[in-house]
Amino acid sequence: MGELAVYKHVHYILSVEKRKDSFESVVMDHLRMNGAYWGLTTLDLLGKLGTVNADEVISWIMKCQHESGGFAGNIGHDPHILYTLSAVQVLALFNKLDVLDTDKVAAYIIGLQNEDGSFSGDMWGEVDTRNLDGGFGCTPGGESHAGQIFCCVGALAIAGSLHHIDKDLLGWWLCERQVKSGGLNGRPEKLPDVCYSWWVLSSLILIDRVHWIDKEKLVKFILDCQDVENGGISDRPNDAVDVFHTYFGVAGLSLLEYPGLKAIDPAYALPVNVINRIFFSR
Amino acid sequence: MNENSWDENRAMDLLNQFEAILESDPLIDEVGFIHPSQFVTLSNECGESGDSSEDGAFGPKNTKFWNRDHKLGISTEVLLPLCKAAKSAFMDALKQYKNLCSFSDNNHEDENIMFGSLSCLSFESEVMKHGRAVLLLSCDFGTAWNSRKLVVSKKQQLSMLMDELLLSALVLSYSPKSEQAWSHRRWVIKMIAGKHSNLQDIMAKESELVEKIAERSKMNYRAWNHRCWLVSYMTREQMLHELKKSRDWAGLHVADNSCFHYRRRLILGISENSCCKQEGENSSYDVENYQIVKEELDLNEVLIKRYIGREALWLHRRFLSLCMIRHLTTMHDISCHPEQKTSMDNEINIFLDNESCLLNYCSTIQDTEFEDFKAQAMYSAVYFLWLITQIPQFREIDLQVKLRTENLKTILHEACPERSFLWGFPDLNGSF
Repeated sequence: MGELAVYKHVHYILSVEKRKDSFESVVMDHLRMNGAYWGLTTLDLLGKLGTVNADEVISWIMKCQHESGGFAGNIGHDPHILYTLSAVQVLALFNKLDVLDTDKVAAYIIGLQNEDGSFSGDMWGEVDTRNLDGGFGCTPGGESHAGQIFCCVGALAIAGSLHHIDKDLLGWWLCERQVKSGGLNGRPEKLPDVCYSWWVLSSLILIDRVHWIDKEKLVKFILDCQDVENGGISDRPNDAVDVFHTYFGVAGLSLLEYPGLKAIDPAYALPVNVINRIFFSR
Repeated sequence: MNENSWDENRAMDLLNQFEAILESDPLIDEVGFIHPSQFVTLSNECGESGDSSEDGAFGPKNTKFWNRDHKLGISTEVLLPLCKAAKSAFMDALKQYKNLCSFSDNNHEDENIMFGSLSCLSFESEVMKHGRAVLLLSCDFGTAWNSRKLVVSKKQQLSMLMDELLLSALVLSYSPKSEQAWSHRRWVIKMIAGKHSNLQDIMAKESELVEKIAERSKMNYRAWNHRCWLVSYMTREQMLHELKKSRDWAGLHVADNSCFHYRRRLILGISENSCCKQEGENSSYDVENYQIVKEELDLNEVLIKRYIGREALWLHRRFLSLCMIRHLTTMHDISCHPEQKTSMDNEINIFLDNESCLLNYCSTIQDTEFEDFKAQAMYSAVYFLWLITQIPQFREIDLQVKLRTENLKTILHEACPERSFLWGFPDLNGSF
């Protein structure tokens, strides 16, 4: 089995941050906040968060805060719950949650809750819900999708409500996501993709069914997705790399207890020590 | 000319050219990015020589934009400066527009309103013009989509709403997975549904749009998700019609799980739309619902036997079988007479018997040259196992059926040893 090319991946992430002037990065700059979360969490899992200038990052994050309390993907853009989450997560990584006016942020999020209990992403209202196959889709009646399943299972876990899930039924659908190569796909008939190593895996862990997949084969699949020369991880072997898949590959390996990585919390998607730091400081 | 030497004026020039094309040709239905070397080829293909005719500055001599037959090509060389210029112009206009809006919201003196609203109008059109340019280059830029919702919701005009459908359809033509575009469409439709009566028309067109996009972009989750969303606006008749109409397409795309999920959504919708009617109608709906599930099961079986080893088909069957069992159970719920119960058990037995025949048919691995026979055996075995765990009636059934399933374990071990842990399910031990 290959090895995790730690230094290559660190170098790759740091270089992406600097490569801001290409068409590809300009069309993605609306989700820079997410990119910050993916890149920085990966660095922390690899034990290299210190290579980044925390003050610069934090100052940029605060410039992305909107008067409503929510955070945008970049300066001057509209706020959204997804970017708000990433902003809070990054501040947690740096142990700087105290720079936040937490009441204000909480008020923004609470303001997005609808009467039926769901949350809209922003003031314009799209909502993301359980199907007969045990899975969850985007909206009531939507096709089961591993990404959505993670969001729902994670949310239920945080809310202490996993008992509402039929774990056998969901676990069954999830373990069927493992294909011959050992990788995981997001729904039936699709190709495996490294990002599902996170979403399927963390869901299985949260419902105590991770022994229903072959962990060793999955580790091998993730390692095969690395670009060991230039750094970074791609969706499947020999494809182009990006920060998104680099994060999910490393996070997946952490869940699989790959040696040398910090442990990651499957529900909060942050290093366990960061979560503990928050809870124990209360 | 390399990207770094585009100064602001030249970039603005580009933006103006781009926006002028969009303005002059409102029927553009396709946008693409072209390598500069392809411009010559394109011109030659159109049989142009020397000077252009109607296109003026956008004929063969132009190597940045190409516009003909309502198609628009943009040279990859200019993408970066164009995108930056569009974003910058858009953000400026948006800032001014929002300032003026809040200014005129807060002031009620007549003069302020006049001045404020005129400037507001001009910035509003700038926001829409530059926003459209940005979105054609960077279609997931949420702030730009939001600004359009802001402007359109203030104006409340049907024509503007229809224009939004045109723009999002254009974006989807080259970016069929853009969630922002799909979401924008849903917002527009909700606005239209609120006050205009041509909703049924719009629903029908939306469904067609998704099918067209789904043909080019297989298993497009977002497209099919959009189509599922439409179902909540449909009448029972429309759902029945959709189910029938999309049947052939499904038969030609047997690996498309999203397509079958859509059919499941329709079937669920049809059965949910059966209650709350008068007594007499109830039973005829029941019969119709039963027939729908039966037909779908028959179609599914034909496809399973024809297209060997397709996961989507087997997953679809799980749902259908559950539906069938539920139908058979509830249809007999009306009375508790023992004959009724026996009759129900018989029908369930017949059904399960058919399923175990299907299992036996599919579990023979004829050859291992390709993966498909082995996959078929695995899917059929896992399907049957799943059925056993999900259907409580299995505990009481015929001995014959039970005997047939003795070799299920063997099939499982042969076809997919890695899944044999499923055999350890608590329910199974009770069944045997």
